[in-house]
Amino acid sequence: MIASALGSYPRIGEGAEAQRLRRAIQKFQAGGLTRDELRAVEDGVTAEVLGEQAAAGVDWVTDGLVRWEDGQTHFTDRLHGFRRGQLLRYFDTNTYYRQPVAVGPVRWQGPIAIEDFRFAAAHSTQPVRPVVTGPYTLARLCADEHYHDLEAFALDLARALNTELRGLEAAGATMLQVDEPALTWHPEDEPLARRLLAQLVGGVTVPVWVALYLGPVTPLLDRVAEWPVAGVWLDCVTEPAAVARLAARPPAEPLRLGLGVVDARNTRLEEAAALSATLARVAERAGADRVAATTSAGLEFLPRQRAREKLARLAEAARLAGAAVSGKGA
Amino acid sequence: MRDDALLTSTIGSFPKPEYLTKARAALAQGKIGEAELKAAEERATRETIALQEELGLDVLVDGEMYRGDMATYFAENTDGFAVSGLVRSYGNRYYRKPILTGPVRRRGPITVEWWKWAQSLTKKPMKAIITGPYTMMDWSFDEHYASRREACLDLARALHEEVRDLEAAGARWIQIDEPALSVRVDELDLAIAAMAIVTEGIRARTLTHICYGTFEQIYPRLLDLAVDEFDLAMADTGFALVDHFGKHPFTKIFGLGVFDVHTHVVEPVASMRAGIEKTLRYLPPERVTVVPDCGLKTRTWDEAKDKLVHLVAAVKQVREGL
Repeated sequence: MIASALGSYPRIGEGAEAQRLRRAIQKFQAGGLTRDELRAVEDGVTAEVLGEQAAAGVDWVTDGLVRWEDGQTHFTDRLHGFRRGQLLRYFDTNTYYRQPVAVGPVRWQGPIAIEDFRFAAAHSTQPVRPVVTGPYTLARLCADEHYHDLEAFALDLARALNTELRGLEAAGATMLQVDEPALTWHPEDEPLARRLLAQLVGGVTVPVWVALYLGPVTPLLDRVAEWPVAGVWLDCVTEPAAVARLAARPPAEPLRLGLGVVDARNTRLEEAAALSATLARVAERAGADRVAATTSAGLEFLPRQRAREKLARLAEAARLAGAAVSGKGA
Repeated sequence: MRDDALLTSTIGSFPKPEYLTKARAALAQGKIGEAELKAAEERATRETIALQEELGLDVLVDGEMYRGDMATYFAENTDGFAVSGLVRSYGNRYYRKPILTGPVRRRGPITVEWWKWAQSLTKKPMKAIITGPYTMMDWSFDEHYASRREACLDLARALHEEVRDLEAAGARWIQIDEPALSVRVDELDLAIAAMAIVTEGIRARTLTHICYGTFEQIYPRLLDLAVDEFDLAMADTGFALVDHFGKHPFTKIFGLGVFDVHTHVVEPVASMRAGIEKTLRYLPPERVTVVPDCGLKTRTWDEAKDKLVHLVAAVKQVREGL
């Protein structure tokens, strides 16, 4: 059973060396560091984060999103049609982002994540999955002074991001991840999300996974098998009932199911045996090959040391669950 | 015009002067002792109070010079908590987050001595300010409780003891901040139940401060929180939210946030005045307090001062027109 990181990873830790990115950003903002010098520090931290994930034993990694200020402005700052607005709380997390404001037609105007992906791929022993915030979530979290229509706005975002996804594939990505946390807060918009996904993945041939987190996923489970994607990452912590629902009625094949069983928002460290039992419960029903293990959300909500420990537990749990399910099948 | 018309105040925190930030770093490095840090905190508190008197604000705050993060400070002084490694808040800002590791019990008064000392420095009313139970629960990791509700209500009981002691010490304005509750509409009932515990039997003026969330989804249900006054961020959305009072009357005292605390720009007096005048279409002046959108700790001392000068000027202009 594959164990995978889901997205963000804490970019600083305890001690001076582990906080060099924080100092570099301060210096950059004060004009004491060039963009290239800051990038060199980001490169170093990215390589370190890739190494930590591999050392924890997970099969698939991300670049930890260490260069992102947040999931929204990282994209909207680089697309045409946005300015930055007020500071806003990000869902129910005690973290904040600058709310982007759509002030004109949204258009892709150049690569956003492609160089970052190339760097990560060149510095990782494990397959790196680039992460893109999805058009539905971006549209929901932005203010809209141009379209005054959620669907029209989100469709333009999907078109712009489609160019980015195709660029990532051309740069060598063997799988892609689209984050749509906002859909868990607005399951009534699933039909719109499906139309957006069709636009988003047009011409993309590598597997695309959609990540659903920070809210209940069960209202979406009857529909996800109809999405034009290879897999879904599902937060199984925010709504614990999701596990029973997945074990009773898993979405239809061939959709792959990534179970976010490790709590990315609480420091309480799970036991690998308990995590493994949860994974096995779904895998026995859905098929071990279809199930992967991950965290309930990106790990940046946790202190770095705890994030590392949780990833190690996740990897151990996936090994245990894989062995348990294949043992039964044999 | 009544004396209590359009009172001016602030939300709680003021910018920490450089000598205080340096003293904190020096303490962490073992270069100075606790007594030296406390001296720096007291100096900064005196300066903050002097500034507010100079500006002519009506209800003062101590500036929270002795607090780091607003949740972590209370966690450090309450049984049942540990403090985590660094986690990111936004941008390049990090903080240490509380961890619930056992049953929450108040060890003893947390802010009472500081409040008494700050009040002794001024004849004007000094607000007592604590972080509310829902926010403490929501902003903590939880390695102990079986449910969010259980954690929140235990916190409410502990914080009620603090509020009771503040009132006994003479506090006439007691603010219980609940910035976290603007996000989870489904947990508003829990926040309301917790606040009822915190303010039960309290006769001092009770306030809460809420910011940066989906106000339109929690209003007017919000008014069921057991406090007399709500200080709310309004300037950052151009006072658009004030229009909700046309549909659902604001039945309590309204603390109107008239400037954004996350921008370097010092808003003109005219824009603050327009916000106040808009509010007075819905509420009488004695039920309006004029405040910033949020705490001032993210601004420089000069920015905070300039913005407050404008706040006071805007209120003066409106008062003269009444």
